[in-house]
Amino acid sequence: MLQGFFLPETVDQATALLAQDPEAKLMAGGATLVAMLNARVIEPAALISLSAIPEIQGISVLPDGRIRIGAFTRHRETAQCTLHLGAAAVLRHAASQIANATVRNMGTIGGSISFADPGLDYPPALVAAQAEVEIAGSGSRRMVAAHDFFQDWYLTALEPGEMVTAVVLPKPQAGAHGVYIKHARVAGDYATASVAACVSAQGQIRVTVGACGPVPIRDDDADALLSEDRSESALARAGALLQARADPLDDVRGSANYRRALIPRLLLRAVRQLALPVGALQ
Amino acid sequence: MSAPRQTLQLQVNGAEAEVRVGLHDSLLTVLRDQLQLTAAKRGCNQGVCGACTVVRDGYTVRACLSLAHGCTHADIETLEGLNQEASMQALQKAFAAESAFQCGFCAPGMLISAHALLLHNPSPDADQVRAAMSGNLCRCTGYAPIVVAVLQAAAHLRAQELAP
Repeated sequence: MLQGFFLPETVDQATALLAQDPEAKLMAGGATLVAMLNARVIEPAALISLSAIPEIQGISVLPDGRIRIGAFTRHRETAQCTLHLGAAAVLRHAASQIANATVRNMGTIGGSISFADPGLDYPPALVAAQAEVEIAGSGSRRMVAAHDFFQDWYLTALEPGEMVTAVVLPKPQAGAHGVYIKHARVAGDYATASVAACVSAQGQIRVTVGACGPVPIRDDDADALLSEDRSESALARAGALLQARADPLDDVRGSANYRRALIPRLLLRAVRQLALPVGALQ
Repeated sequence: MSAPRQTLQLQVNGAEAEVRVGLHDSLLTVLRDQLQLTAAKRGCNQGVCGACTVVRDGYTVRACLSLAHGCTHADIETLEGLNQEASMQALQKAFAAESAFQCGFCAPGMLISAHALLLHNPSPDADQVRAAMSGNLCRCTGYAPIVVAVLQAAAHLRAQELAP
């Protein structure tokens, strides 16, 4: 039963509270956690609300040009942020397709990726954008590549006592672009399958598939192929490489075979959208 | 064994409200069971149906997914408070005129979402209305009259130059 509700004002206070009580749960926007409380799926001893920590709120440009998205940044802010230029546009596209306007007003990027449901929109977008995840523990800070952050079904690189404090995106490049293509049963649902794709100014493509396995799926050979050749046959070969890496489940959103069949089709749409003239940074 | 309860001050519809809440109590529970503000409905209690939608600091949220303890520094508005606004009254008239509800359970949440849309976009097209209302489920109408009603209210407000 819930015995405590804490409202720390710094990351250090939050991680100290977490260290004191391993049974406590961190709460960000609450969009998933409170639903689990209501359903009695979880019954934490205490909640540590992260809503009053200025350091983890909002989006900023770091001195070296990278973009830092605080963990408590709501999906609405990420979807509307004009700093997400170049390949970082993939994150804006992904955020704008999460659930619905009301849930986007509540949910946060840190809460979302810490939950790490494979059907979420951020994981493939972050891996495609070569983002890093900033993690704080009791008295420590570390950075983990998004690709290494997502480890298995609902399992991340977070150790007990740690929390996500931010997501950091590489400095946007002129001429780069990113798109996120989501296939869902109805508007607002989790993805049945999704494809995030980024292209650099030099034409290097990086594709990531979501909702088709425990973690976002990539294939270096597929990326190398598409960076050289975007013909239909190359797209078909790249799609087959990604399909071979997929490990989807049968669930209410689609059978594993249906998800595999979606991958090359979503890939085609993503690469076609990337090919549209982007002009300046957008 | 019941959870410990605490006294909290909430700001609801422009007035201070003192409530006694347990740590796990949602804003929805407090609004409905203590403040007798029953426009927001408990549908799924999972954030899916939208019947409990209220406004927090100017943005729509799910009252069922908002813990009351997390709302102490927030400005909460419910349909009871928004009723006096011209845009809400126009929406209510249009919903009635177009039969945009039957059982009425979803209507308060629909009205809050539509009101939030018109606040940011006084001239939405039908697709924008559908997108804005996509977080609110209705099991009676099939949605078509709801979209018509929101478009009609928006047109009425523009004509009256009362757009919020």
